[in-house]
Amino acid sequence: MSMSKKSRLLPVMAIGATFSLLLAGCAGGGDEASSDEIKIGVLAPDTGNLSFAMGEAKKAVDQVSKELGLEFGGKTITIVYQGTDGTTSSAQSAVRKLVENDEVDIVLGPGSGDEGLTVVEYALTQPDVTFVNGAASPVDQTLKGADNFFRFMGDSVMWMGGLGKYAYETKGYKNIYLLAEDYSFPYDNAGGFFSEFCAAGGNMTGASWVPVGTTDYATVLSSIPAGTDAVYVGLGGSDAANFLSQAVQAKTPYPLIGGSIAIDPSALGASADIADAAVGMFSGGPVPGAGYTNTLWDKFNSEVEGVNIFTLLYYNAAYALFSGIKAVDGDLGDGQADLRDALKATDFTGPGGHIVLDSNNQAIVDNFITEVVQNADGSLGTVQVAEAHNVKQGTISYQRFDSCP
Amino acid sequence: MKSVITWFRNNRVLVSWLIPVIVLVVAIAFPYFIMKPKFWVPNIGIKTIWLGISAMSLTFLNRYLGLLSLAQVAVSAMSAYGIASAMVTFGLDWYIAIPIGLAVGTLLAAIIAIISIRTVAIYFLMITLAISQVIYSWVSQEVFVNGRRGLAPVRRPEFLLEMNNFYFFALAIAVFAYLACRYVASTPFGLSLEGIKDSPDRMRALGYSVSKYRFWAITFAGFIASLAGIIMVFDRAQADPDIVSLNSTLDVLIVAVLGGVTSIGGVFLGGLVFTLLDNFASDFTDRSMTLTGVIFVLILLFAPKGLTGVWEQLKGVFKKPSSSGAAKDLKTIAKEAVDTSSAKTKGKNQ
Repeated sequence: MSMSKKSRLLPVMAIGATFSLLLAGCAGGGDEASSDEIKIGVLAPDTGNLSFAMGEAKKAVDQVSKELGLEFGGKTITIVYQGTDGTTSSAQSAVRKLVENDEVDIVLGPGSGDEGLTVVEYALTQPDVTFVNGAASPVDQTLKGADNFFRFMGDSVMWMGGLGKYAYETKGYKNIYLLAEDYSFPYDNAGGFFSEFCAAGGNMTGASWVPVGTTDYATVLSSIPAGTDAVYVGLGGSDAANFLSQAVQAKTPYPLIGGSIAIDPSALGASADIADAAVGMFSGGPVPGAGYTNTLWDKFNSEVEGVNIFTLLYYNAAYALFSGIKAVDGDLGDGQADLRDALKATDFTGPGGHIVLDSNNQAIVDNFITEVVQNADGSLGTVQVAEAHNVKQGTISYQRFDSCP
Repeated sequence: MKSVITWFRNNRVLVSWLIPVIVLVVAIAFPYFIMKPKFWVPNIGIKTIWLGISAMSLTFLNRYLGLLSLAQVAVSAMSAYGIASAMVTFGLDWYIAIPIGLAVGTLLAAIIAIISIRTVAIYFLMITLAISQVIYSWVSQEVFVNGRRGLAPVRRPEFLLEMNNFYFFALAIAVFAYLACRYVASTPFGLSLEGIKDSPDRMRALGYSVSKYRFWAITFAGFIASLAGIIMVFDRAQADPDIVSLNSTLDVLIVAVLGGVTSIGGVFLGGLVFTLLDNFASDFTDRSMTLTGVIFVLILLFAPKGLTGVWEQLKGVFKKPSSSGAAKDLKTIAKEAVDTSSAKTKGKNQ
């Protein structure tokens, strides 16, 4: 055989071998669950601006496993992790793989807004599988009538409860500009804030809905109209960190109000010097700040490193789920009916306060308003400004808006 | 072995149909020999088909018109939105919704054709990408299609609720799309397109209306892409902006490149590799996107014409070494003739 033939054949063989290995690997994946095993599929973003969420979900599940164990009534809990990139198509592929290939009994997730609606639609087609939401917070997730879907956290409108009034009455802001990522979570989150703020008498001076993953905010900063008292920042993860860094560089004169994932260790812990922009920023959400009196919160922080909103929400969800499995002693019941009854009866106080479910399997929760402060060592943290108990879900979900909703 | 190769050489037309027929037989048998049909039929089989059809419309334009369009995903998506709007917003039946979806997608393709008809090469690619992104922004903000939340649920018709029925429905559409592309390519219209691809000026000089041919070719490719939209919307059970995002556009481009960007049928092979990687790369490593990227680069490196180009590479391997001038290709013969002729002329001049 001549060299030219060899050089042609080798790549063909290499591609053939790769393809065969891939097929073999694919066919081998997804072992079926045995009768003495309960398989839980954890769904969380591991790519994109919320890629850190998967790490937080793992930390949360590990912590719950330590606290409650992985064996109930002779059955062992097996965990399968599946990443997404935060988009609906990715969530759909991932949840289908967990249910149909890995044959999990329960799905714990997803972690991002748009994904949440897709997973609920899918849950409606899978009555034999129980779905426990991870950290996704669109309002209508629990209004779709999916009896097998549970959410042990507030929605993104609930998280903003009290913040609009606080901005108008306590801080005295009359005109606020909106900057937020362009997807369903900030729609609801900002909608919750501005509906309350505008009802109190405030005015919205304009809006910039930016694509997720935006790195340059110079145009937005320069387009904030004169007369604006403050800017609402509905960004999360690396986007929030980038914005705060650029706000400092641009010497932005406006005070900032954060969406529920803007004031977060991943943004506040950024290596860039963001203190000038971040200090004084306040937000509403499920994560308490310093000064919150709850021994479980202190214990949680001492045992889990770098707690943020995703760690807390996945922890609450996993804790409720494992407690439900423990309550039925590992026997999920016919069509998982016993487990679902146990989940519906959830009533526990966790690190983020008291949680019970309403008739839509939606949590009634505690909510917190926090403000960013600079600690003595120069690091940034949050302090508790106000807290609300037994916050219930409304029925309004928001679309993208450019003036008071 | 020798006789097999000779048979293949002597029956090229038959062979050109033999491979698609074998692929079709394997595709028909697919739901019956896989271990977990509940997962593999929708997530690998059906997704491969709609990705493949969307990519097929792209490869059709590239192969026969020499234009690389990045608006094909937008066309598929608008077909999906047409069906979703008809069923979710207006409560129409599927048999009315599907023609509406096809009409919306094909109409969009015709509009894209009118806008981009006078551009070629990188300019055509950029203008189609821009149109695709405009549509993404529009559906993200348009209240009529429920903005970012999209339209859901888009329920499959009753006769497609059984997953195998849906798979064979999708397969039938794929066969129809493939045959339609090959048929159109074999007509005088298709041959004219190849002429336009090679030399639009010459075709214009011969009296052909190049713009008119391009318009109809882009519209036809849009119709093919719209077929993908039908399967996609019933597979995903929803239509949201994600189906027309830049990521989705790049997915279909990758499928086309993996399969072979000039191969009408190869797109399904590209689609298969893509869906396998999409679903299973994360089982091998936490850095699944990196693995997908590395495999993509390796395929491009070792099989620059895509996976269907591997067949050409194999033919090269088994090609009989030329012991005489009989195996010389036309190019070599022509070059030798020119050399001989110029040598003779030189001799005479001297």
